[in-house]
Amino acid sequence: MQVTFSIQRYDSSKDKKPYRQEFKLDVEPTDRILDCLDRIKWDFEGSLTYRRSCSHGICGSDAININGKNMLACQVLIQDIKKKRIKIDPIPGMPIIKDLVVDTTDFFAKYEVVKPYLIAKNPPPKERFQSVADRALIDEAVNCILCGACTSSCPSMWGNPNYLGPAAMLKAYRFAFDSRDEAPAEHLEAIDTSDGVWRCHTIFNCVEACPKEINLTWHISQLKKKMVEREL
Amino acid sequence: MNFYQSGWTKVLTTYHRFAGSWAWIFHRISGLALTAYIFMHIIALSNLQKHKIDGGKAFNEEMALFSSPFFLVIEWLLFAFVLYHTLNGIRIVLVDFANGARYHKQLHYAVVTIGVIAFIAMGYVIFSHQVNKTVAMLF
Ligand code: HEM
Ligand code: SF4
Ligand code: FES
Repeated sequence: MQVTFSIQRYDSSKDKKPYRQEFKLDVEPTDRILDCLDRIKWDFEGSLTYRRSCSHGICGSDAININGKNMLACQVLIQDIKKKRIKIDPIPGMPIIKDLVVDTTDFFAKYEVVKPYLIAKNPPPKERFQSVADRALIDEAVNCILCGACTSSCPSMWGNPNYLGPAAMLKAYRFAFDSRDEAPAEHLEAIDTSDGVWRCHTIFNCVEACPKEINLTWHISQLKKKMVEREL
Repeated sequence: MNFYQSGWTKVLTTYHRFAGSWAWIFHRISGLALTAYIFMHIIALSNLQKHKIDGGKAFNEEMALFSSPFFLVIEWLLFAFVLYHTLNGIRIVLVDFANGARYHKQLHYAVVTIGVIAFIAMGYVIFSHQVNKTVAMLF
C-alpha cells in the first residue's frame, strides 16, 4: 500500500523558516513510522535528520508529532495511523535545530529543578528496603523514558514557557512518593509554585501523548493533594 | 545559533484536540463569558435602583425588555454557559482532589449528558408559558 509522508524540513544553519517535503512510499501496514523515516533517509533524502537510538521504545529519543499528535516513531505502526497521508513534524513547543530534532536543553533544565534523584542522608545498612505496597505507589511513575512527548503536548506549556511541565512533575512524584526518599519536601518545594504544579489545568494532552501510558494528570493530582495537606 | 520555534497560537490550532482539550477550551470560553456577563448584570441591576425616584417605571420597563422572546433565548444560552462551567468545574475538582483523573473521559461524557438534559429541561421551563399561550391563541 502506498502512503504519502509530508515532513517538515528545517535547517537552522541556513533556513529562515520550516518548509514541507513529500515522499511517497510503498509500505506494509505493520511497518513502524521509524522504519519509514529510515527508508526515506537511506533511499531518498540523506539529509533528513531525526533522533533515534534504541528503536524499541526504551531510550526516548524519537518523540515526534504525527498527524498532530505526539508519539514515539518506533512504537507506532502504519496501521495505527489509519490515514494514507501522514504528516510528520517535530514535537511542538521546543526550538527546532534541524528537521525533527528539537533542542531539549530547557526540558532537561526543568527536569533538574525537581531534584530527580533519591535524597538519602545515610548509606543503607545493606539495602534500602521497600514494601510491595510502597513500591506500588511509584510503579507507573518509574516507567518514564523522558521522551518529552508529554511536556511538548501541554497547552499550559505553550502559553507559559516557564511552566516546568508534566514530565518534571511526574519525576517529582516519583521521588516524593518513594518510601526510601528521606526528603520528600525538597522535591515538593520545587513544584509548589505558580510555574509548578498549579499551572496544570487538567487538559490531559500529556496523558494522550505518553507512549508508556502513564496517567500524568493523576500523578499531578496526587501532588496537588499533597500540597493542600501540607497547608492544613 | 537561532533555532526556529512556532508561536503558541499556531501550535494550539494545529495540535490534535482530544476530549480533555475540548473540555478545557469550553471551560475557558464559558468562564470568560460568565465574567463578561457579570459586569453587564451589575450595570443592568444598578439601573433598577431608579425605582426609588421614578415609582417603578424603569423597573417595569427593564423587566418587560427581559421577558421579550429575544432575551428569553439569550437567557437560555446564558444558562448553557453557566451549566457547562458549573458541571465541568465539578469535574475538574473531582480530577484534582478525588480519583477523577482515572475517569476523566467518563466524567466528561457525564457532564455533557447531564448538561444537555438540564438545558432542554430549562428550555421547557422558560418557554412552556409562551408556547402554551401561542397555542391557546391559535386554536
Ligand atoms: C458553581 C460555580 C463554578 C464552579 C464550580 C467553577 C469552577 C471553576 C474551576 C474548577 C476553574 C479552574 C479551571 C482550570 O483550572 O482551568 C474555573 C475557572 C474559571 N472560572 Fe469558574 N466556576 C464557577 C463559577 C464561575 C463564575 C460565576 C464565573 C464568572 C463570573 C467563573 C469564571 C471563571 C474563569 C474566568 C475561569 C478561568 C478559566 C480558565 O482558567 O480556563 N466561574 N472555574
Ligand atoms: S511521562 Fe511519558 S510522555 Fe512524558 S517524558 Fe515520560 S515517557 Fe515521555
Ligand atoms: S528510538 Fe529509542 S525510544 Fe524510539
